[in-house]
Amino acid sequence: MLKIHGISKSFGGINATNNVSIELKPNSINALIGPNGAGKTTIFNLITGKISVDKGKIFIGENNITNLKETVITHMGIARAFQITNIFPTLSVKESIKMALLAKTHGLNNMWDRFASHSVNEEADNIAKLAGLKKVYNTISSELSHGDQKLLDIALALALKPQVLLLDEPTAGMGPEERWEMIKRIKELWQKTKMTVLFIEHDMDIVFDIAQTIFVLQQGAIIAKGSPKEIKQNQAVIKAYLGGGKK
Amino acid sequence: MGFLKQDNFKRDVFLGIVVWLFLLLFFFIVPSAGIHDIIQKVFILGLFAMSLNILIGYLGLIAFGHAAFFAAGAYTLGLFLQSNVVNILGSLSIPIAIISAIFVSTVLAAFIGAICIRLKDIYFSFLTLAFQMLIYSIILALVNITGGDQGLMGGFPKPPFLGIDLGKPFDFYAFTIFISIITIILLRQLIESPFGYGLRMIRDNPERPAALGFNNQRHKLIAFIIAGSIAGLAGSLQALLDVGAYPEWAFWAKSAEPLFMILLGGMHSFLGPIMGAFIFEMLNDFVTANTRYYGLVLGLVILSFVLGLRRGLLDWLLIKFYRK
Repeated sequence: MLKIHGISKSFGGINATNNVSIELKPNSINALIGPNGAGKTTIFNLITGKISVDKGKIFIGENNITNLKETVITHMGIARAFQITNIFPTLSVKESIKMALLAKTHGLNNMWDRFASHSVNEEADNIAKLAGLKKVYNTISSELSHGDQKLLDIALALALKPQVLLLDEPTAGMGPEERWEMIKRIKELWQKTKMTVLFIEHDMDIVFDIAQTIFVLQQGAIIAKGSPKEIKQNQAVIKAYLGGGKK
Repeated sequence: MGFLKQDNFKRDVFLGIVVWLFLLLFFFIVPSAGIHDIIQKVFILGLFAMSLNILIGYLGLIAFGHAAFFAAGAYTLGLFLQSNVVNILGSLSIPIAIISAIFVSTVLAAFIGAICIRLKDIYFSFLTLAFQMLIYSIILALVNITGGDQGLMGGFPKPPFLGIDLGKPFDFYAFTIFISIITIILLRQLIESPFGYGLRMIRDNPERPAALGFNNQRHKLIAFIIAGSIAGLAGSLQALLDVGAYPEWAFWAKSAEPLFMILLGGMHSFLGPIMGAFIFEMLNDFVTANTRYYGLVLGLVILSFVLGLRRGLLDWLLIKFYRK
């Protein structure tokens, strides 16, 4: 589904990613892990076209999306949710999801119909249900709890009906209970939509619980990839990331 | 009459007609030329302020050079009606002059907007101001065409059209308010459309829309052009009212006026700027009749709004009595 071939990116001579290759199978759920500063978010930024690739290629299906504009890549089927919640504070949950739905179909160019009565209402309703936001459907986004704001960020990405969904630390800033709630929700979403998911996460219990394949990044390079079982037993990963086998 | 309960185009048109008819009746109930003049100015300046509020209130871009389009509309209309074309066009002169004024402002806004919207924050604000001062300098320099610092001299004819004679006070009053209300209704339709919500989305979070596949820059440019064209329309109506056009309409201080109106009336309510225009005009009328310290009084009133209400009057009223 998503193929990354040897991408590299440096900032001022410092390698943020170095010859990274990742391949995601269709309908799979995958984790990208690594210590802070390993280059995880940079990889997301490279995939989505937020920053340009210095070397290497990125494909979605057979389409080369390397260095295409962020808006074009989004329309080709890649959507993301952000590490720091990235929503629209003065719009309600309903309005925000409708905006994302209209963005997907270029409906935001419509200067005549009333937004409130626009035909995407039912679809927005379904996405809110899917993301578990129905109870706060008419709440202004800035008044949502942190967890619901994170869910809204994901719902915005879901509205684009992506082939590949990138989730950058979906549980960041949450307490232990809230984290597991969120992970349960993501797992459900993935099972219902069967899209390909790549997520960044620091909590290893969560990663080992839901990821089918794990990619381990250190200093901008992939040092291991495999199933949770394989990663748990990988000596390089244990040494670099899991704390010398204490975990 | 069920549509009155719904927020839709039909209701807006109905309310627009009601307001227009009421103001026509008011013309005869209160036969004061001074009050009629204030009402006309409130609508003209209200349009000017509402056009700027597309950028400030809905898009989050503070333009300091919006009067460039107001002046462009005023001068285009004035020059058009002073030209010999009037003899050829006859009764069509005024409608075509207004359309020309909107067209010139639109083209100017497209040119200036295409450059300015690449910037943000204070850089955007000051680049719009730089363009406005360029237009101001051109108006002063082209003495043979614009009349330089004296403005367009000698007035211009207002040939009647469709039975409307803008030389008559009632016709002018009814026409100005009619054009303003139509523009306000169309603007409301735009602001409440998916396009208008796209503006709010950019204002709230300019980074996120790209990740939704949405082209910010194109949206911003279209909004800038629409704002410029409405300011041009307001300028052309002002030129018709004053039978002339003046270089100070392109000076930076003129751009501050709609900004004050927005601050006074409120930037988060659709009709806030027009309420601001009303307060501004009333202050202007009352204060200048009683003291020469107009600027001081205006400053104190704005300060009291900013520090006391912390928002424009209509915004404050809506929050106080309606939204919460």
